[in-house]
Amino acid sequence: MKTHFTQTQLAEPQIAEAADILQSCQHFGFCTSGCPTYVLLHDENDGPRGRIDLIKEMLESGGAPSSKTVKHLDRCMSCMSCMGTCAVKVDYMHLIDVGRAHIEKTYRRPLAERLLRSALGFVLPRRNLFKSALSLGRIAARFGRWMPPAVRPLLELLPPPRSSDPADAVGQRNYPAVGVRRWRVALLEGCVQPEIAPHINAATIRMLTRFGCEVVMPEAAGCCGSLNLHMGKQEAARSFARANVAAWLNELDQGGLDAILVNASGCGTTVKDYGHLLKGDPDFEQGAQRVAAIAVDVCEWLMRIGVSAPTTPRRHKVTYHDACSLRNVQKVTQPPRALLLKAGYFVSDVPEAHFCCGSAGTYNMLQPDLARQLGQRKAANLASTHPQIVAAGNIGCITQIGLHSPTPIVHTVELLDWAYGGPAPLALRTVSLEEIAIDKEAHDEAVASSSEQPIHFYPGNTSKDMGVW
Amino acid sequence: MKNIQNFLAQVRSDLGDQWVDQRPETLVRYGEHTLPGQARAPSAVLFPESTAQVVAIVKAANEFGIALYPISTGNNIGLGSRAPARAGQVVVDLGYRMNRIREINEETCYAELEPGVSFQMLRDELRRRGDKLMVSATSGPPHGGIIGNAMDRGAGYGPYFDHFGMTCGMEVVLGNGEVIRTGDGSLDTESLVNWHVSKFSFGPALDGLFAQSNFGIVTRVGVWLMPRPPASRSFHFVFPDDEDLAEIIELCRPMKLSNFVPSLFRIANDLYAMAPDERNPEYLEGSRQSISGTARKALQGKHGLGAWQVSGMFYGASAAAIEPLVARVRGHFERSGKARYIGHDEALDIPALRIAIDSMSGEPSAGELGMLQWRPGSGNSWFLPGTPMVGSQAMELDRLGRAIYEKHGMDYVVMHVASARFARGLHVLVWNKDDAGENARADACYRELTLEFSKRGIGVGRAPADYADLHMEQMMPSLRRACQAIKQALDPNGVISPGKYGIDLPGAK
Repeated sequence: MKTHFTQTQLAEPQIAEAADILQSCQHFGFCTSGCPTYVLLHDENDGPRGRIDLIKEMLESGGAPSSKTVKHLDRCMSCMSCMGTCAVKVDYMHLIDVGRAHIEKTYRRPLAERLLRSALGFVLPRRNLFKSALSLGRIAARFGRWMPPAVRPLLELLPPPRSSDPADAVGQRNYPAVGVRRWRVALLEGCVQPEIAPHINAATIRMLTRFGCEVVMPEAAGCCGSLNLHMGKQEAARSFARANVAAWLNELDQGGLDAILVNASGCGTTVKDYGHLLKGDPDFEQGAQRVAAIAVDVCEWLMRIGVSAPTTPRRHKVTYHDACSLRNVQKVTQPPRALLLKAGYFVSDVPEAHFCCGSAGTYNMLQPDLARQLGQRKAANLASTHPQIVAAGNIGCITQIGLHSPTPIVHTVELLDWAYGGPAPLALRTVSLEEIAIDKEAHDEAVASSSEQPIHFYPGNTSKDMGVW
Repeated sequence: MKNIQNFLAQVRSDLGDQWVDQRPETLVRYGEHTLPGQARAPSAVLFPESTAQVVAIVKAANEFGIALYPISTGNNIGLGSRAPARAGQVVVDLGYRMNRIREINEETCYAELEPGVSFQMLRDELRRRGDKLMVSATSGPPHGGIIGNAMDRGAGYGPYFDHFGMTCGMEVVLGNGEVIRTGDGSLDTESLVNWHVSKFSFGPALDGLFAQSNFGIVTRVGVWLMPRPPASRSFHFVFPDDEDLAEIIELCRPMKLSNFVPSLFRIANDLYAMAPDERNPEYLEGSRQSISGTARKALQGKHGLGAWQVSGMFYGASAAAIEPLVARVRGHFERSGKARYIGHDEALDIPALRIAIDSMSGEPSAGELGMLQWRPGSGNSWFLPGTPMVGSQAMELDRLGRAIYEKHGMDYVVMHVASARFARGLHVLVWNKDDAGENARADACYRELTLEFSKRGIGVGRAPADYADLHMEQMMPSLRRACQAIKQALDPNGVISPGKYGIDLPGAK
C-alpha cells in the first residue's frame, strides 16, 4: 500500500516504523475473517484492514484524529488474531501501538473518559493503590445502582476476597529450590495478580521449586507496562519497563538468571517485546534485549526443563482456553496442553480458539458491551465441550471467563501443581469433581449431547473409527 | 436510480434496516480485488438470514429490475474477491448470517451446511465431536467457505478432493424466485431421507447447473465427510531438474489409475514450494524480469528442495500397516534414479512439505498464503488449465507456460495436482498492482496463457472473475447459446450475477 509521509514526518522513528508497516499491508483482507470485532460488527472500520487505513490516514495527516477514528481504534483488543491469518505478516501489533500513542498525544477525550483511563493507568500497576482501590470498590459495589455508568463494568469485575489459606499466599522474595538447585529464575509477580489471585503465583512457585528452580522476585520489578502501553501511554509504559529491566539486570549480573518467567500471558507478550519498547533508549536498549531474550512463559519453561510423572495424576476433563496473547502472539500452544496431558488430565480444545474472551487488558472495562458479547460467546463455546474445569494461562481471561461461564476456571499452573502434590486449586475446593475413568471418557462424550444439532448415534458404538481400515 | 431506492426500501422491510448496508467504507471494500482491473463497487450489500429472506430479495430484484451478486464467505483471493461481476450490482452476502452447520450425521458421515460455514468452523465442530470425521481442506486459508469453494469446483488433495463431487443434494433459489431441492431432495415432502446420501436420483441431475454459473443461489448443501483414519503417513520425492516433470507424470499415473495411492499427487515446482517463506531476492533488488535459474538453484539449495516436489499420502490402520505401501511407492519412484525420498517424519519439519501433509489430513492451514508476498504487492491471479496425465504433453505445456511467464517478466509459480487421467495446473501470478507497468504485464501474461493454451486444445477449469468473458469467448457458439437459453429459463429477468462466468441473457450486453 502506498503511503504519503513527508520527509520531516519520516525523520521521527515511530512514524518511519509505522510507514514501513503500512507499506507492507496489501488489503487482502484475510485478517478480517479472524477479527472478533469484525465478526461481531461487520463494520469495515472495525477490522484490522480498516484500522490500518484509519491509522495511515491519521498519521499522514499528523493532526488529531476524528472521534470516529478513535472509536474504531479503541475497539481493537490487540488480540492479534489478525496476525495469524495475514498472508504477508503485517506487524499490526506495533502499528496499533503507534496509533494509540498518537491518539493519546493529539486527541482530547471527553473528561470522564480521560479520568477513567488515567485512573486505570495509574492505580492498577501500583499494588498499594490498587489494594486501596479494591477496598473502595467493594464498598461502592453495594451502591452499584448509583454509580456512574462508566464505573459499573469495573465493579462487575471485582474479585472475591483473597483466600486466607497460607498455601495461597506469597510472603517471600526468594524461594530456594527443593533439593538440588539446577536453575535460577526470576518470576514476574505482576501488578493485579498478586492482589486478586496470589494463589496463582503460589502454585507457580511450588511447581518451579519442586523441579529444581530457585525463584527470585526482586522488589523493584513491578508492573510490566502493558496496561499503559495499550492505552497509548508510552512514557508510563517505558518507565515501568525500565524499572523491570534494571531489577532483572541486577539479578542477572549478581546471582545469574536462566530465565525470566511470566505466568500472565498478556504481560509475557510485553516483556518478550521489551527490546522493541526500549529501542533507541541509550541506557536501556541493550539491557532490554538481554532481558527479553530470556523471557519465557512458565509453561514453555516447564516443558524445557522437563517434569517427571505426576504423583497424583488428575483424571478430569479440562478444556484449555488459549489466551489470545499466548496463542496468537507468543505462539505457545503445545506446552500447556502437553503438560496438562502428562499430569493426567483429559484435554479438549475450544471451538473458535482464535477468538479473544474479551478481557484484553482493560478492554472489559473500557468496552464493556463488546467484552460482554465476547465473554458470552467464549462461555458458550466452552460449554459445548462439556468440561469439568477450564484452564487458561492469563489472569485476565480467568477473571473475564469467570464472569460468564459456570464452569470453574483456573490457571494452568494450578492444575499442574495439584497433580504434583500441591493443594487443590482455590476455585475447585468447593466443587466436587468426579474422576473420569479412562474407558468411560469416550462413552461419556458419546452420550452427552445438549447441542441443538441432530446427531444420529447408536449409544453402543463407542469406537473412534467410523470405517474399517 | 428510482428502482434501486424502491428495491432497497423493499428489502429493508423484509430484512430489517441494519442488514442493508450502503456505508461508503463497505462498498469500497467489497469492490476491491487483487486482479489487474479496476475495483468494482456494489451499490449495496445485503445480509439475509434464511432461504426465505433470499427468496424475498430475489423477488424484489425481479420486481424492480435490480442485478444481484450473491457471495458466500471467505476471501476468494486471486479470483475476484467479493467484487460483483459488474459495478453497481447488489452484493447478497450469504456468509455473514447464514452460517449454520445444520446437521452432522455421524453414521452416514455427511454435514448439511449453509453458505457461511468455513473450513475452520466445520473443523472445530468435528473436533468437538471427537475428531472422527475429516474436512477436505484446500490451499486457501481456514476461513474460506466450504460451499463457495465447492460451487466454484474447487478442490482438496485427499480422497475427497472433488469438493463439488462430494456435495450431495442442495437447495437452490432460482432467479425467478422459486426454490428447488436437487437429487433425492426433490421429493415433495418435508421429511427427506436420502437427500444427502444418494446421488442416484430420478431425472436429470440439475446440481451441475449451479456450479460455476449464475443460474441460482445455493442456500444449503449436503457435503460428504471422510472418516478420520487411525493413521496417515505421507511420502515425498524431490526431483532436481525442470525437465523431470515428464517422468514424474508417467510415474504418478499408474499409481492413480489403480488408486493404489488414495490421495492426489501434489507436484509443486520450486517456487510454489518455497514462495510461502521467501521473497524474490532479485525482485527486491529491482529486477523486473523472471527470477534467474541461478537464484532458483540457490533457493533450492537453501531449503533442501528441488525443481519439483512430489507429495502423496496413505491412510490406514497404523503406521506399521502403511509402511509396506510407502515402500512400494518408494521403489516405484526411485527406479528413475532422480527421485530423492523424504519420509513423513522428516517432512513434518520442512514447511513446504508440512503444508502438503496438512492439506491431505484435513487440516485447514494458512501456510500457503505467504506466496502472495513472493513479489510484494497486492496483485494475485490464478491461471488454472490442466494436462492429460501424459508426460510428454505435460512437459510441452510446462515449457509453453514457462516461456510465456518469462516473456512478461513474471515468475513461474506452479503446482500440478494429479489424479489418474488429468492434472490441474495451479499457475500463480503475483505482482505489484501499484506498478502500472507490471500490472499490465500480469494481465497480458494471463491473456496470452489463455490464448496459447486454448490454441493447443486446453481450456481452464476455473477463472478469475475479470477473465470470464475472455474464457467464454473461447467456447463454441452453440454452448454459449445453450448457457444463455438456460439463463433465460431459470432467471428470465437476469437478476442473478449477470455477466458472471460470461453468462448473460440472450441479447444482453
